[in-house]
Amino acid sequence: MSIARKILARWEVFLLIVLIVTFVVGVEVSKYFLTTSNITIALQGIAPMALLALPMTLIIITGEIDISVGSMVGLCASAMAVGLEAGLPIEAAIPVAIVVGVVAGAFNGLLIAYAVLPSLVVTIGTLALYRGIAQILLQERGVSRLPEWYQSIGFGTVPGTPIPWSSLIFIVCFIGFAIYLHRTYWGRALYAIGNNREAARFSGIDVKRTIFGLFVASGAMSAIAAIVLTAYLASARSDTGTGLELPVITAVVLGGVSIFGGSGTMSGVLMAVLVLAFVQNSLGLGGVTPEQQQIVTGAVLVVTLILFSGSGFIERARASLRARNAASAAKNTSQ
Amino acid sequence: MSQLTEAAQSGAPSRGLLARLLRELVLVFALILICVLVGLREPRFFDPTNLTQVILSATLVCIVAVGQALVIIARQIDLSVGAIVAMSAFVTAEWLAGNPTGSLAVVFLIGCSVGLVMGAGNALLVAAFRIPAIVATLGTLAIYRGAVLVYAGGRQISATALPKNYEGIARAYIAGVPLLVWLAIIVTVVIGLFARYTRVGRNLYALGSNPESARFLGISEARGVSFVFLLSGFLSGLVGVLWGARFGTVDAVIAPQLNLQSISAVVIGGVSIFGGSGSVYGAAIGAVIFAVIQNGVLLLGINQFWVQAVVGAAILATVFFYSTMARRSERVEMESRRRRTEPRAPGLPQAEVSK
Repeated sequence: MSIARKILARWEVFLLIVLIVTFVVGVEVSKYFLTTSNITIALQGIAPMALLALPMTLIIITGEIDISVGSMVGLCASAMAVGLEAGLPIEAAIPVAIVVGVVAGAFNGLLIAYAVLPSLVVTIGTLALYRGIAQILLQERGVSRLPEWYQSIGFGTVPGTPIPWSSLIFIVCFIGFAIYLHRTYWGRALYAIGNNREAARFSGIDVKRTIFGLFVASGAMSAIAAIVLTAYLASARSDTGTGLELPVITAVVLGGVSIFGGSGTMSGVLMAVLVLAFVQNSLGLGGVTPEQQQIVTGAVLVVTLILFSGSGFIERARASLRARNAASAAKNTSQ
Repeated sequence: MSQLTEAAQSGAPSRGLLARLLRELVLVFALILICVLVGLREPRFFDPTNLTQVILSATLVCIVAVGQALVIIARQIDLSVGAIVAMSAFVTAEWLAGNPTGSLAVVFLIGCSVGLVMGAGNALLVAAFRIPAIVATLGTLAIYRGAVLVYAGGRQISATALPKNYEGIARAYIAGVPLLVWLAIIVTVVIGLFARYTRVGRNLYALGSNPESARFLGISEARGVSFVFLLSGFLSGLVGVLWGARFGTVDAVIAPQLNLQSISAVVIGGVSIFGGSGSVYGAAIGAVIFAVIQNGVLLLGINQFWVQAVVGAAILATVFFYSTMARRSERVEMESRRRRTEPRAPGLPQAEVSK
């Protein structure tokens, strides 16, 4: 137990060191890196991804996965756009997006929890289905006549401070998710489900309802991410959020959540989100193209995972060498 | 070693060819049904030129899906296939643009080597560093795609820069059937036979259905996992070469949907996402079903925006179908096992049991 805790502590400490290194490099790269306006820009850019990482963390801890988040964002954005086209005010279109997100998430949850289908396949299917419905709804149109106050959710900051509105939304959601995961009975149950589903069921956890609930939460958060992203891009299109699932899963895994479920913390994921935000930002300031940034992001993921399992790799190599030596020694003595 | 694997093979009850290919037959039946439905509404579907186009558009996805099927059968997943295809296509097209008189054998050698190297990268991460495949290939997907984007630098190599004999690969016919179709059939059948009749192939099923007991049988997980990623990389490299020949224009962003398309074809083809069951033939038929759906939607004059929604619905429907079938056969199995192990059933002489 103490070893496990030590490794866990080390992982977040490690991410913190990576974050500090990123800041040092960032300052080295550009004198604008440590300005408040730059940090505001970096945080605004990462907000939609960060919002989606919260429910994804819970889902991956239970051993499931949701590949369809990017498409749910596109579907919610399209639903909102259709509402606006029909003459609804933005105040009415936002609830429409949230309802659509909840329904889309509930459909995933229904198939996964109650029809007991594998979440990887179901959400690959709904990835195509939800994006398809978004395309049917909006086709090639884009809706960009959005009120000023709404756009400030994506662009603006809380008056008098450099804190972006989208970061404030994220912080509120983050606190909610962190309390749920780490301070409630239901949060503990998620780890139990991820470690041993049968045992969790026998100890009285309603596994089906829990998993259903998580996918509904994922849909709802996709709607919120869609609202933020549409404000950030200043337009809603059917391809909004395409490919967003990859950075989201990257952030969660980088945050130390086991892809097999059963372990991980919210603070680790928060660290990973910040690392990704500022790595990309400092690379951008350094004149690195988005394509090259993609390589760096992938490399950060792969290298951290190698480091994470690297000790195990050396351990295994040593063990097999020892076994071989022992075998040859035994052969020598028997001769 | 060979005795052990023979034991593993004989563990599976030998069934007749028909029973063994039941899943594939159901798939073929579904394919024919879809074709007939589309053809009834729009007779142009059965036009030889249209059918050729449908089959041709299935070939490239089919070859990638066959590799993906073995990966998934071994309980892994490869998300980087699209990026490997793009890299292979761009590297070979650029080489050809620089050496218009170059031999086609060299072209295939280059493309397949690119694929093998990238597959080896995946194999290293998954087999040596034990990083879960879904995460490792998520990382290499970003790295490989980024590498093509940087390497290509926004350039595009168009058909005019490529030699005629290269494009000829996609236009060649043998016995009235396009060369690409022959190639897809050969790849599918060779790998299908390999998976069923060789030790390495059978071991992949053992690894996929139960890695723990496969290890007790002396099957090396690292070797099997490396093999499937190398094969998947190789086939993606091959498809990269064919991609340029078929579509003429090559840039860094080609094949963005290929990861999902190949996995969807594998899933529709009845390969269990948890590994250990299914066949590459199913995956190949899955790729054809996709092509038919796409073509059908266009022919029937349904708005093209419906294609993705239809594909998504098809995936969900097939998953639902397969899991229902699996659960039913499981129940039947449990029932018969219960009968066999419960000798105290009424009507059975007590004395015989106690002996």
